Parts: sequence; C-alpha cells; structure tokens
Amino acid sequence: MWLHVRLSEVCLFLQAMFILACCFSDMESGPIATSGSVQPNGDRFKIEGRAIVPGVKTQDWISSARVTVEGEEYIGFLRTDGSFVVNDVPSGSYVVEVISPGYKFEAVRVDITSKGKMRARLVNFIKTSEVIRQPYPLQLRSSGPHTYFMKRETWGWTDFLMNPMVMMMVLPLLIIVLLPKVVNTNDPEMRKEMEQSMNMLNPNPELPDVSEFMTKLFSGSKSSSSKAIGGSKASGRPAVKRRNYCNWSCHGNYNTIFFKRAFSFVFCK
Amino acid sequence: MSKPTSLFVIFFSLFIMSEAVFEDQVGKFDWRQQYVGKTLFAHFDSHSQSSNKLFLATDKNIFASFNSRTGDLLWRHVDKVGPEGTIDILVLHGQDALMVVGGGRLLRSWDTNMGGLNWEAVLDTGSFQAACFVAIQDTVKHVAVLKKAGTVRHWFSYLVYSGGEVEVYVLGVVPNSHLTIIAYSLEDGEIIKQRSVEAPWLSSVESSCVVIGQGVLMCVDPATLALYTLPIQAEEAPQFNQILLQSLDLEVSLGFQPVLVSSQPHPARSPISEFFLQLGPDHHVLLQLNADGYTIAALRDFQPAFLVSFATTGEKTVAVVMTPKNETLYVHAFLKKDDSVDYRVLVQTQDHALTFIQQPGRVVWTREEALADVVTMEMVDLPLTGTQAELEGEFGKKADGLFPMVLKRLSSQVILLQAWLAHLWKLFYEARKPHGQVKNEVTIETLSRDEFNLQKMMVMVTASGKLFGIDSKSGSILWKHYLENVQPNAVFKLIVQRTTAHFPHPPQCTLLIKDKDTGLASLHVFNPIFGRKSHIAPPALPRPILQSLLLPVIDQDYAKVLLLVDDQYKVTAFPSTKNVLQQLQEMASSIFFYLIRSDQGNLSGFRLRKDLSTERIWEVVLPTEVQKIVAVNGKRPNEHVHSQGRVMGDRSVLYKYLNPNLLAVVTESTDAHPERAFVGVFLVDGVTGRIIHEAVQRKARGPVHFVHSENWVVYEYWNTKSRRNEFSVLELFEGTELYNSTVFSSLDRPHLPQVLQQTYIFPSPITTMEATLTEKGITSRHLLVGLPSGAILSLPKMFLDPRRPEVVTEHSREENLIPYAPEMPIRTEWFINYNQTVARVKGIYTAPSGLESTCLVVAYGLDIYQTRVYPSKQFDVLKDDYDYVLISSVLFALFFATMISKRLAQVKLLNRAWR
Repeated sequence: MWLHVRLSEVCLFLQAMFILACCFSDMESGPIATSGSVQPNGDRFKIEGRAIVPGVKTQDWISSARVTVEGEEYIGFLRTDGSFVVNDVPSGSYVVEVISPGYKFEAVRVDITSKGKMRARLVNFIKTSEVIRQPYPLQLRSSGPHTYFMKRETWGWTDFLMNPMVMMMVLPLLIIVLLPKVVNTNDPEMRKEMEQSMNMLNPNPELPDVSEFMTKLFSGSKSSSSKAIGGSKASGRPAVKRRNYCNWSCHGNYNTIFFKRAFSFVFCK
Repeated sequence: MSKPTSLFVIFFSLFIMSEAVFEDQVGKFDWRQQYVGKTLFAHFDSHSQSSNKLFLATDKNIFASFNSRTGDLLWRHVDKVGPEGTIDILVLHGQDALMVVGGGRLLRSWDTNMGGLNWEAVLDTGSFQAACFVAIQDTVKHVAVLKKAGTVRHWFSYLVYSGGEVEVYVLGVVPNSHLTIIAYSLEDGEIIKQRSVEAPWLSSVESSCVVIGQGVLMCVDPATLALYTLPIQAEEAPQFNQILLQSLDLEVSLGFQPVLVSSQPHPARSPISEFFLQLGPDHHVLLQLNADGYTIAALRDFQPAFLVSFATTGEKTVAVVMTPKNETLYVHAFLKKDDSVDYRVLVQTQDHALTFIQQPGRVVWTREEALADVVTMEMVDLPLTGTQAELEGEFGKKADGLFPMVLKRLSSQVILLQAWLAHLWKLFYEARKPHGQVKNEVTIETLSRDEFNLQKMMVMVTASGKLFGIDSKSGSILWKHYLENVQPNAVFKLIVQRTTAHFPHPPQCTLLIKDKDTGLASLHVFNPIFGRKSHIAPPALPRPILQSLLLPVIDQDYAKVLLLVDDQYKVTAFPSTKNVLQQLQEMASSIFFYLIRSDQGNLSGFRLRKDLSTERIWEVVLPTEVQKIVAVNGKRPNEHVHSQGRVMGDRSVLYKYLNPNLLAVVTESTDAHPERAFVGVFLVDGVTGRIIHEAVQRKARGPVHFVHSENWVVYEYWNTKSRRNEFSVLELFEGTELYNSTVFSSLDRPHLPQVLQQTYIFPSPITTMEATLTEKGITSRHLLVGLPSGAILSLPKMFLDPRRPEVVTEHSREENLIPYAPEMPIRTEWFINYNQTVARVKGIYTAPSGLESTCLVVAYGLDIYQTRVYPSKQFDVLKDDYDYVLISSVLFALFFATMISKRLAQVKLLNRAWR
C-alpha cells in the first residue's frame, strides 16, 4: 500500500517531458511536428524572417552569419535555407540585424506588442517614432559585400598624360615641333609676311628679344659686370615689359608666339 | 554657400583617405587567432571514412567545427553569453548535431556539413536533465529530452536509456529509498509501465550508475564496495543483484568514490557489455558483464591510468587508457578507424590546452584555449640583441682611460662587422633555398627589438591563470606558464615594474592575483620576455588588498615601486629595500591615492604619512539608494599630450585643462524605470577630492563605456527614451590663459575649467572602447570601438569634438571643425580588422611604438587580433606603397638625359668652332 502511494507521488514529480522530434529523415517538418511551434509561455515571442544574399549559395555564408536582436540581447542562427527564427523574445521594440563578415544587410526595427502583434519598420535613430513599414516576416536582402578596403592611388601613364599641367606643356611643344614642318619657312614671301606681322606685334622695337634677354639673364652670373648691366636693365623698366608681354594676343608667328607666351606666363605670375 | 560645402567635401574625402586598410596590406602586419574555450562535448565526424572534422561544444557557449588534421577552425557559432546560451548537451548522429541550449530552453539541430541550422524548437519550461537519441531498427529518428518541471520536493537524478526498442526508459531515484523505472512509448510519449525497486543504498543514478549490455543497469556502491546489476526491461518485479568487489579481487583506494565508464556506440544498439571501473585516481579495471547478465569477469587491470574512454567503429571497439604526466585531468572523445583499428585522441587538459594525438602517440596539434578568455595584457619592449647591448654598455660605464676606450670601441666595431657578415651569409644561404622552405622561426633566443620598436612581447593573462608570452609580429606563443591554485573568481592586475631599458637588469612584471570574495592577494613576479619566475621573493600579504598603485619612484635596480594598500589602510611596498623606504619617507607627503567602496557609494582619498601609515583627507559619498558607482578611471600614466592648447580661428589659444590627477567616476541610477533612470559622470580631482564637473544624462542607462584621456572624457550609454545608443563627449579647457604653465598642481588651481559637451547618436551598440596612444602624442587621436559584430571601428576623435559648430563660420572652417551632425557615421572602411572579426571583444589594448605615427592595437575577447593603426597616416616613414621604381626610373632617365645632352652640346660646340 505504502509503495503504491509513493509510486503515484513519483509519477507526479516526474513530470518528464518528451520531445519526440522526427527530424532526421526530413528536416523541414521537424520543428513543426513538435510542440516547439507553439509558444510555451505567453509573454515570449519569436521574430521570424529570411536573409538572402543574391547570387551566393547559402552554404557559403550562413556558417559565419548570425542574427542579433538589440546588440547581443537575443541571438538567432540562420537555417540552411537562409531563414531564421529568434525565439524567446519578450514584447518591446528591437533592432534586428543580420551580421555577416562578408555581406551587408540593412537593420530593421521590429515592434512586438504585449499581445504579440508584430510590425517591422525602417530603423531611424533621429526620428524614432517615424514608421516606414517593412514586410514581416522579415525579408532581408543583402546589398552586396562589405567594402573594407580603400583603393590604392596607382600611378599610370594615362593619369600622368591627362594631367592638365602636362597637357599645357606637351601640346605647345608638339605645335612648336610640327608647325615649322607644315609652314614652309624657307619661302621668302612667307618670311617677309611673318616679319611684318612680328613688327606690327612688337610696338617697341627697342625692346630686346626675349631669347636674347634670357640668355643675358642666365649667362649674367658668369661675369659680374654683365650681371650688373643685366640687372640694371632688368630692373629698369619692369612694369612696361610686363604689360607688353601680357598684352600679347594670339596671332602672327606661332613659332615665336608660343615661346613668348610661355615667358609671359612666367612674368605675369 | 557652395564654396564652404565643396571645401568641406574635399576635406572630408581627404580625411577618409587617411583611414582604412588597403587590400594589399591584408595580413602584412596584422593577425588573428580564433579560440572557442574549454571543451565540454567533443565528437568526431564518423559520417564518412575520410572526414576529418571535429565538433566541439564549449563552456563559452560555442559550437564549433575544426579540421582535425590541422586544428584550424572551419566554422563556429557564438551564442549568447551566460546561462541562456549554455550548451547542456551535444549529441551527434550522421550529419546532424543535436544540441540542447540554455538549460533546456531550446533544441537545435545543426547541419554539420554546411554549418547551418536545420531547425530550432522551443521546449517546455523546466530544467534540463538528460537527452539521448532514440532509434528504432537501426534508423535514428527521435531524440528524447528529459526535463524537470514544476516544484520538486524530492531530489531526483535521472538517466535516460533507449536500447533500440519502441520504449524509452527513464530512471529516477529518490535518494536512499528507491529507484523508479518508467517506460514511455515512442509513438505518443505516453507512460507504458512503471516500476519501483528498493535501493536504500543509492543516492544518485547519474554519478554511480551506467547501462551496459542488454539493458542492464550497473551501479556501484562505495559504502558496501559492491556492484549492483538490474535488468531494466524485465517484466516481473526486478531486483538488484549484488556482486561484491572482493569476489572479483578488486580493491578500492582509500576514500575514493568508484566510478563506472561505459559506452553505447550506436543509439539503435545496446551498449557494449565491457565497462571500466575506476578504483583509484590512477587505477582502472576493465570488466565484462557475462552473457547471463549476472556475473562479471575482470578483463584487465590498468595501473597507472588516469583517463579512460571507449571508441567504436563498425564491430570493433577500442578502449583507450591514458597515463599522462601530471597536469591532465580529463580526456574527451575519440575514435577513428580503417580495417585495422586506428584511433585519434583529443585531450583537454586542466590548463585549457586542447591536444590532438595520433595513434603512435604523436601530437598533431595543440590549441591553447585558455586564450579565449584573456583578462588583462601588457606589451613589453623586446630586449636589445647581444651586440646592441654590448654597444650600449660602452656608454654606461665610466671611462677607464683613453687607450682601453679605443680598444673597446674597436672591439665592438669588430663584433658589429661580424654580425653583419653573418647576416649577409644567412641572406645568401636562404636565397639559394627554394622559396617555400624559408621559414622565419621566431624563438625567444632570436627575439630582439626592431628599428622602430614595432615588434613587442605581448604578455597575456587568462582567466584560468595561464600566462602567455606572444610575439606581436607573428602571433606565435613564445612562452606559457600555468599558475596552479588560481581561484576561478580571481581578478588579475598586471604591472610592468621594470622595462627592458635597464640592461643588464632583466625586465620585471608583477601579477597581482586577488580573490574576488575574500580580497586576499598574492604576487607572481616574472620576467616578461622569457616567462620565468623571478627569484625575487614577493612580500607576504596576510590581509585583503584594496588598492595597488605603481609609483614613479625607482629603487637602485631601476624597478618601480608597487604600493599595496590593505583593508586596515596599511601600506606594503614592493620592492621594500632600505633605499626604497627612505625614498618613500621623503616623498610621503606627495603620495596620494584613492579607494572606492562601490557597495557604500564611497570614494575617498588618502595621503601617505612618513611612517607608511595613511590618513584620509577627503571623501565623496554618492548615496547608494539613488545611484551606484559603476566605474572609476584615471588617465593612462604613459600618455603624452603634445600640445597644451588649441589654436582657434581668431589666432587665440584655448588651453586644455590637463589635470593628471583627474578621475572620471561613472554612476548608474538604482531605479531602472526608463523614465527615471539616469547615468552620471563625475570628474573628481584625485588629490583634493574636488568635484570638477558633474554631468547627468537623464533617461539613460548603462552599460556605460568610457574613455578618459588628455582633457576629454567620451562615454557611451543607452538612451531609454529614444531607444538608441548615444555618445557624449566632455572636454575641459582652462580658457585662453594658462594659470601656471610650468607645473600643474591640484592644490593650486583656483579656477574651475570650462567644460564643453556634445552628444551624438551612435547607430550601433558597442562592447568596448579605447583610444589610440602614440609615443609623443603629436598624432591625432582615434577612438577604437568594438562592435558586437566583431568589427573594430576606428573613429576619429575629430567627430567627437564639442566645438563642432551647428553653423559653419569662417573661424570654424579655419579650425577644420566638422559641422555638427547628430548621427555618427559608421563606415566599413574604418573597420581596422576588415573581415577578421573578433568575437565578443572584451578589451582593446593600445601601445605606442617607436614611430610617432604608429599605434599598436590588440583586441581581445574570444579571439585575439593584433594590428597597427596610423591615425594621421604614416607621416614619418615612407608609405608601403611608395613607388621606388618610378622615382628611380625618373632619376635615371634624367641622369642619362643630361649625359646625352651634354655630349650633344659638346659636339655642337665643336662643330661651331670648326665652322
């Protein structure tokens, strides 16, 4: 008799519970067939969703990814098909994020009411009450791999050549080299015409030729006397010279004009 | 208006350029090591013959897969910290790994091949007891989980057993009374039958019983020294059958509780009838239950053998006994086979090392899993090489006269020449070898400081009490030292007392180990380069230690003095030579320290007296009913501030308030209600106890992470109203005039500093925060923020500047102030560890290197990641993308062009002369 009483007591205490999950043959039906699909305690809910990385097989990224709810408050893992469930979440408002070192996912805010109603919306930290609805169960689509690296500034010939300063230097040079070949300078008529235009251009015939001036300037350092002359000459009428050089327009003998323009550039600056 | 914005954009883009890692820098100076923690359950992949996978569940709530050939991590799933993520059991069948998580909260099935989840199920409430696979006719289809529900008035212990039938047996015990056997139907979970067996000697089935053979329960009773057998599936009233150990000629060691070990190789089949009985700590006997189910035969006696286990493949079963040297405590799992029986063993030792051994006793790999829980660390400069030290020694000694000095100089030059030649020879020798074979083995002997002091020794202290010395360049473990008898709740503090700068004195580190509950402490003094324990005897500390402080005072051996304050406010100095005590007496009036009693909400300051007793000079009480002190932090002693002030747009200077004694005290409200919760930040002068500033953040709660450096404090908290994380920065300035520019004294500062504050939204929670540190403090500062995703964000301090203007003005533009924006950006280009995430970042350690531009960073948590950061770009060395080819080709081209043109000019002149 005593034994019998004890036995019934044992039965009472031994509220052993079994989960008989027929799982291994077909994994999809696994959790559905169990009591797990029913929420055991009323105030805890689950957040469901699915994450997709377009163009990448799930097995290549899910093993390093996980789902975090509000930092590491609640954690869920991704199923082999990319879907996820975060169990045991009480009501409240949470930022749900899929974290993967390889792929970028947008975070979503999920609101759970005390009755278990779910709502997903965009995360906006500045206007926290703004609601832009997102689909629930969550559909998270990766916007591609993370960009962790900066591109190195590489040096290429094209970069160098397309540089405006280089262009400014190279184009005139080309013209200097090419123009004499195009225009026949040996033609006496042509030469005369050119000289005329040069004279017209040069209002002050006393002004020394630029090339002459430059040779003087640079060779001046060799002898102190010539330097003194050059110096006095150079400092004598600088304002006039400057104006003259700067006011040159662009016609006449290209051959010399370009030289002069180059110098005018130097002087005017 | 367009001009300022464009300017800003340009500035901004330049700024971004200064950040980020370049793709070709991957792995160049950074490395990561991944750990999982101490193994709780281990399984070998027996699914296919050729598979070399290993599955582990650890005490850090991690389920991981390893390559058993190399020990490399294949994948890993990091669950929540704490009891909610605890792995109760891991069972493996085929490709499915089944796990009960969080004390029976969840049942998870993993696809071990892909590393993804098959399904997850929530279990009914109740505490987890046991789980096993249930199989019917060789197909494993079910898993049985036993949980305890409701209020339990009696202690039970359970055992779940299934032997390939349609029934699952649960054995429950009422201690010292009887054993109950309940059979459940596999179809619907109904109770089929239940029986009770008298067992007054039995207290727990878990610890003293196993199931062997055809459903026979085998128990051992330490009192009567007898084995008991009981057929579980018997129809009629079963009875225990007693077999005295004496009848088998077995003797139990005195005071030892015998333990049984059995094995059930496949859930669909019965357990094997052989089992181990442990008779003493190093004595095991292999026994066999005869076919009649009542008699036992002794097969073999193993002594000494500390660890035993079974492994089965096909029809063959291997019993493995291990006789480790001393430290090993428990073996875990193993098996493997081909036609002849072969096996592999995974051993988890007491010091958290995981060793994988192949059959002939060859160690294939070892993982130092203690590093999964680094508590504190320091970086120590490497010593100079012998030759360098020789040269240094030349300057150290006083002159012996002219001639010996010259001789010495010459001899050291010869040594240098020799070293150089040896280096050249080595280079030549290695160049001849095929490329793959050249291996730069780092050993302690070859370690020496490099030119820019970029390579250092990382001394890491782990929670298990194991110390490691790791080379910061390669990440290889150079030494390890296991401290036995360290309590699991011990707190550690690592102090560098003497650096490597004082040749020939060896560097010296001191580890203060303190029991968290009693406060009793002990010191471990060691050489950080070699890991050897120092011969210096640490002082005995009979009383609980409240505070430790490292003084700038050095003894005659160049070791800094460590002061330990006990609970009677008495001070112990280490080292405590006469010289030190004398110095302390002289300096006593200027030595101040503070104590925190967070349970009493008390922060008090003390001064040292000449006789090494102490006197309290100030006290700040923060009532514990309202708020509790969470953290107190001073500035880092090795921090340098280069500029005293900031030049503003109008060319005046705003001087920083650089108080070296300033303490930042962070409090949290005891009221957790979102409307009333607050976070408080107090800036207290540690010498005078004067509260310099207090800031209260309403509707905020912790966890608060903060950094205190230079003249600023940055803290992060959770805004309960807007449900977001916010960063706030406090910056202290003296104003446009400096009170006493030569020396700072806390006692003589009449004016309170001006405090500026600004707050920003941070779009992610954070786990830890630290500021970069450089040699001279010229380089701009960055904040290193550990995110829960495992990324480490390098956030420029510029973004956290309370002077960021809302309206852009001429002055602010000139100062390079970024206009205020409420939300802080997180750019993945700023992640210094790109995709090398550090799981559960617990701490970030920063150390200056010999280069001003470079700061060494170590992030530790579950993983360890080491890298270098350049907060203001590499301004003092050539960048690693410096184009040597271009520069040299241009130089050569110019050189040849001049040569050629010179020649041409000569020819021309000659021609002209001839004309």
